[in-house]
Amino acid sequence: MAASDPQKHSKKRKQVEDEPDTHIHQNAVQLEMLTDDEDGAEISSDDGEADEFPEIDTGSDSEEDFDAEDNEDEDEDEEDDSDGLDSDASLHVFPKAKTVTSDITGKPKRVYPEIEPDYDSDSSTEDAPNRVGNVPMHWYDDLPHIGYDINGKKVLRPARGDELDKFLATVEDPNAWISAFDKNLQMDKPLTNEELDIIRRLYQNENPDASYDPYEPMVEWFTGKGKEEIMPLSAAPEPKRRWISSKWEKQKIMKIVRAIRQGRIVPNKPKSTNKLEFYAIWSDQSSTPHEPPPPAPKPHLPTNSESYNPPEEYLPTDEERKEWEEKDPEDRERDYLPQKYSSLRLVPAYNNFIKERFSRQLDLYLAPRVQRVKLNIDPKSLIPKLPSPSTLKPFPNYKSLTFSHTKGRARCVSISPDGAWAASGDEGGTVSIWEVNVGREVKRWQFKGKIGAVEWCPRTDVCYIVVGIEEEIHFLIPPNLPDSVYLLTKSLLAPATLPPSPATPSPVKWETVSSDTRSIDLPILSVHLPPSSGTPTQITWHRRGDYVASVSTGGSQSAVWMHQISRRHSQAPFKKVKGSVQAVLFHPTKPHFFVATQQYIRIYNLAEQHLLKTLTPGIKWISSMDVHPSGDHLIVGGYDRKLCWFDLELSDKPYKSLRYHTRAIRSVHFHPTYPLLASSSDDGSIQIFHARVYNDLLTDPLIVPLKILRGHHVQDGLGVLQVRWCNRQPWLLSGGADGNVAVWCT
Amino acid sequence: MGRIRQKGKAGAARAYITRTAAVKKLQCSLADFRRLCILKGIFPREPKNKKKANKGSSAPTSFYYTKDIAYLAHEPVLKKLREHKAFAKKLSRALGRGEWSSAKSLEENKPVYRLDHIIKERYPTFVDALRDIDDALCMIYLFASLPSGQRLPSELVENCARLSAEWQLYIMHSQSLRKAFLSIKGVYYQAEVMDQTITWLVPYQFTQNIPSDVDVRVMLTFLELYQTLLGFVFFKLYTDVGLVYPPPLDVKKYEAAAGVGAFSLQEASHPSSALVHKTVEIDGRKISGKDVRQTIKAITASSDIDMDSVSNLQTSVPEENQDEDFVLQPSTKSTEPDTSLPTLKTLESLPEPISTTLFAPYTFLLSRETSRSIFEFLVRSFGGKVGWPASSGGGSPIDENDPSITHVIIDRPPHSYKSESAEEKERRLRRKYVQPQWVVDCINAGKILLEEHYAQGQTLPPHISPFGEYEGAYDPAAGPLGAQAELEESDSEAESGEEADEKDDVDTGDHRLKKTLKDAVGDPSALRTAELAAEAAGMDYDAFEKEVGKLGKKTKREQVKVDNAEEDMNKMMMSNRQRKLYEKMKHSQQKKETERNILEAKKRALIKQKRKETKGSS
Repeated sequence: MAASDPQKHSKKRKQVEDEPDTHIHQNAVQLEMLTDDEDGAEISSDDGEADEFPEIDTGSDSEEDFDAEDNEDEDEDEEDDSDGLDSDASLHVFPKAKTVTSDITGKPKRVYPEIEPDYDSDSSTEDAPNRVGNVPMHWYDDLPHIGYDINGKKVLRPARGDELDKFLATVEDPNAWISAFDKNLQMDKPLTNEELDIIRRLYQNENPDASYDPYEPMVEWFTGKGKEEIMPLSAAPEPKRRWISSKWEKQKIMKIVRAIRQGRIVPNKPKSTNKLEFYAIWSDQSSTPHEPPPPAPKPHLPTNSESYNPPEEYLPTDEERKEWEEKDPEDRERDYLPQKYSSLRLVPAYNNFIKERFSRQLDLYLAPRVQRVKLNIDPKSLIPKLPSPSTLKPFPNYKSLTFSHTKGRARCVSISPDGAWAASGDEGGTVSIWEVNVGREVKRWQFKGKIGAVEWCPRTDVCYIVVGIEEEIHFLIPPNLPDSVYLLTKSLLAPATLPPSPATPSPVKWETVSSDTRSIDLPILSVHLPPSSGTPTQITWHRRGDYVASVSTGGSQSAVWMHQISRRHSQAPFKKVKGSVQAVLFHPTKPHFFVATQQYIRIYNLAEQHLLKTLTPGIKWISSMDVHPSGDHLIVGGYDRKLCWFDLELSDKPYKSLRYHTRAIRSVHFHPTYPLLASSSDDGSIQIFHARVYNDLLTDPLIVPLKILRGHHVQDGLGVLQVRWCNRQPWLLSGGADGNVAVWCT
Repeated sequence: MGRIRQKGKAGAARAYITRTAAVKKLQCSLADFRRLCILKGIFPREPKNKKKANKGSSAPTSFYYTKDIAYLAHEPVLKKLREHKAFAKKLSRALGRGEWSSAKSLEENKPVYRLDHIIKERYPTFVDALRDIDDALCMIYLFASLPSGQRLPSELVENCARLSAEWQLYIMHSQSLRKAFLSIKGVYYQAEVMDQTITWLVPYQFTQNIPSDVDVRVMLTFLELYQTLLGFVFFKLYTDVGLVYPPPLDVKKYEAAAGVGAFSLQEASHPSSALVHKTVEIDGRKISGKDVRQTIKAITASSDIDMDSVSNLQTSVPEENQDEDFVLQPSTKSTEPDTSLPTLKTLESLPEPISTTLFAPYTFLLSRETSRSIFEFLVRSFGGKVGWPASSGGGSPIDENDPSITHVIIDRPPHSYKSESAEEKERRLRRKYVQPQWVVDCINAGKILLEEHYAQGQTLPPHISPFGEYEGAYDPAAGPLGAQAELEESDSEAESGEEADEKDDVDTGDHRLKKTLKDAVGDPSALRTAELAAEAAGMDYDAFEKEVGKLGKKTKREQVKVDNAEEDMNKMMMSNRQRKLYEKMKHSQQKKETERNILEAKKRALIKQKRKETKGSS
């Protein structure tokens, strides 16, 4: 080794001429040399010590188990120095040899102790009678024995007492508390001392092995004095890396050194300061990736009431203060109570300051922001600009006279075609004819039962009225007619020769009073509707005056009948009608027929006998309807206070839907000549509209509310039951539930 | 046939996301999500149809735009928050193991997020940022007045105090304060900076305690954002007027409680200023724009030369300096030659509106019971000089006994001046003693008000909000009430008289005349003929006039009634939607009106009571 050193040394010199490297190398070599020297010394001293081994060995061997346990501590003390060497004795299979000087040769020789033939085994296993070994004992559960002894004899199951015996055993036997069930012998056995000791150790969280010494001195196997290996383990020459420092490491180190020199690496990184340096952040006009959120609305600016010294009128009264205090903080209109201080120094801190800031912040980040367009308009501009009613005269303005029915509600009103006479019927069965101008009653008929409808024949050459009473329709001729008219009327209603009866018999009977019993007080002609068909509540004329349609309500039968006067024949136009019919109407110019059920209005073509159109006004229950004299417009009134205007040319939805009455609409009517429209309601009022319809299709009809006529009393929740216009004047007749029929004049 | 559209794949179901879903998507805690929302300015949105946005459920939830949340997912701050979470775990582990050194190094390298990119995103332009600093200012003023403690580190409070002082300095320097209002909540200030109206509320100087139902975390997150925002805004504001930001702090003064005086505004001396800066040498002496301006001012103001300005040049110079340099204490910096001041800027500031230099001719002394922070700011913002006794803090530029003091702001009851020397009395008589409200009222009125009403011990006139109220609100300043009340009284009298007249008319002969008059009112030519007829009937002109007036009123009333009836009828023709809108507007109008009526009624009652009292006393 020493010879090879200089060679390596010179090689190294040639390769690298770095001084520190060679120094390190030299040091390494010297260290090696030093250890070599010591090795030699150690070996010589080692030999002398070897003699002591056997003595200790025998000592430990001869001792008994129990003693060893008892004197454990002492043993350890004694064996302290030699423990490291002899503890391996247990590992040896064979007993230790003694070195003695041979008598014969005079040289040291090894002598082994004699081998004894007995088993060096546990005494507990020795005297165990049951030799079945470690098998599951339940194999013997059904057998009388519990195993076999060493001789192959059965070991019988020991007697096991009942629970009482067991208990007595625990009381009597002093060893009972330290005995446990021995599975092998199937009986309780007292625990041995070793077992108890193990239990004690386990209790104390110690190592159960008594002989375990956690603080054993270290055994020096390969190092220390005398243990040095003289020869290297491998014959390979020592690698270069042992004495030459790595080039790559050097490069890495130099990199770091350079970085340190240049100040790139500082010994202590400066503490990261959370202080932000401000700079001109808005100097460049770079666009942001997306639109920033809309700015938050600014809070309201303070008003006078927030002043520390407000005008006195802002201070709350006691009631206001109390009201404010009683309200929940969320419901309060303002979050403070105005207060007045005589000088600034008296103003205290505001308690809710932080709370208010906090709630503002909650608003900022938790409240959804919605941009609302604030209408900055005068609310009056929302009201439609309509021509003033004063420019749309004439229209009925005041009640000129009242005609009273004493027996009941004035259900129905009708006006003669010339506009001079009015007929009205009430629920007491009275039908009166009176002059419109002065209200003088001319004639009165008395019937049994309610009058459902009264209608004047629209023909001018004849004159009679049709009255609908329970399941009957009567034809009455008013008195004081000119002879020609009277004769013509009579010949029409009670002709000398009856027209031929139709091929299909009708359930409706036409009955003429015979000429001898005929009187002005009795109807000249009666039409008997089929039984249980109900009261005819509406009678409507065709414009020619030959056909009259009646609608009965309250009955079970089909309600609509169409009567032809000239042929004295009645027929039901519909076999089946969906829903209950509320009103029917003839079209003023075309052969069309309107039928209003509770929610729909159907228009039929009578000539072609098919359905033309169904209108849906959106009313829950239609009460009445009327068609404009031009025939293109229809108004519908409903019990749910709505009035719908239909332009028949356009849609089947209403052109305009108005709701202005406070109660149900009872009746609607167009003026035949003037552009007027009236609707009456259960709230006791009549609304007059100006309803101008243009021939030009592009212009929408003009509807202007003109006047609210009040004068009828509401009785039993019923107001004005029917309104009718005078044919030639802008006058209105209205029959009310209070039994009055009023004439409204301009 | 088109492609089958699945439910919930497009439209509102996609555009909106519930908060829970958002938190789940971002994989952060709710607290972190809230913090992010605050910082990024993301707020919930209200979908038009909640059911469509929430898979058919109508449970009350808050919705966010999905795009907002997707945008949040790439937020660097979110990354930092996650890092912070990891850091917190590491730190608690190190502390639990007692590894102090590693805990220390962890603490030193703890992740800190920056908010500058958020500021830039939220406020793409400077004006955007400026518009939004109202809340920020309120917050920093509030936190500057809070006691620091466990939850509020003292650095935070100090930083808030510094920011608020910087803002005040800037406002005073730029003279942009416009209005102030002493309310029960605090002092409202309104300034106009770069055409943006900024209003902020400063609490009175009392210790505030954070109530228990306030979430301080939320407030602190807002404060974090606001501090950064204000820092950048102030930087821009300061650099735009050529000042150094942050203004250097004089620690000595700061410790002597000099308040804003502890900061000194420094001109940023950049090389380009030398080019702008014009100096002309006359007679071997450098004459700057400053001097020119002074002379101009002297010429224009020659008519109302103040005592102070005439007294000597030495005193007037620092007063003039105030515009540029707010170092009120003569320091070494203020002794620098005037030539260093850029001329262009001074020329620019020449045509200032008069109101900003409202208090320029006056010198104020703050009595010790008045709040120095409020009134120093107010007076100096409007060009006045202000001093205070040492008990209100150090750094007062003028002595208490300074002869230049013109006004003393005092807020204590008057006392007798028996034991005062002649000199003291002379000084007292020379100065004007006003209550603090005078300063604020002067500012709001834009002129110097009479001091008598605000003298010490006087009952103050009411302090009225300068911000105004909604249109048509009750105006306490206008005094139509008395007149109106009288008018009403005369009205009722006239009416009763009218009735009596009408009774008389039945027997007297001029009933017919009145009737013609009635018809004539409104038509001038008819009125003329009626007048003639009246003359003929022997009625004197005054009586005739009265009659005409009465009738005119009556017809007008009738006309109004008719109009109202027509309007009511026309309302029938409104569509449902319009009617609802109309009703709503009417309702709000009604509410305002009742409010006003209540106030007016109260005022009337007060006047009546006062009259009674005066009558009783006399």
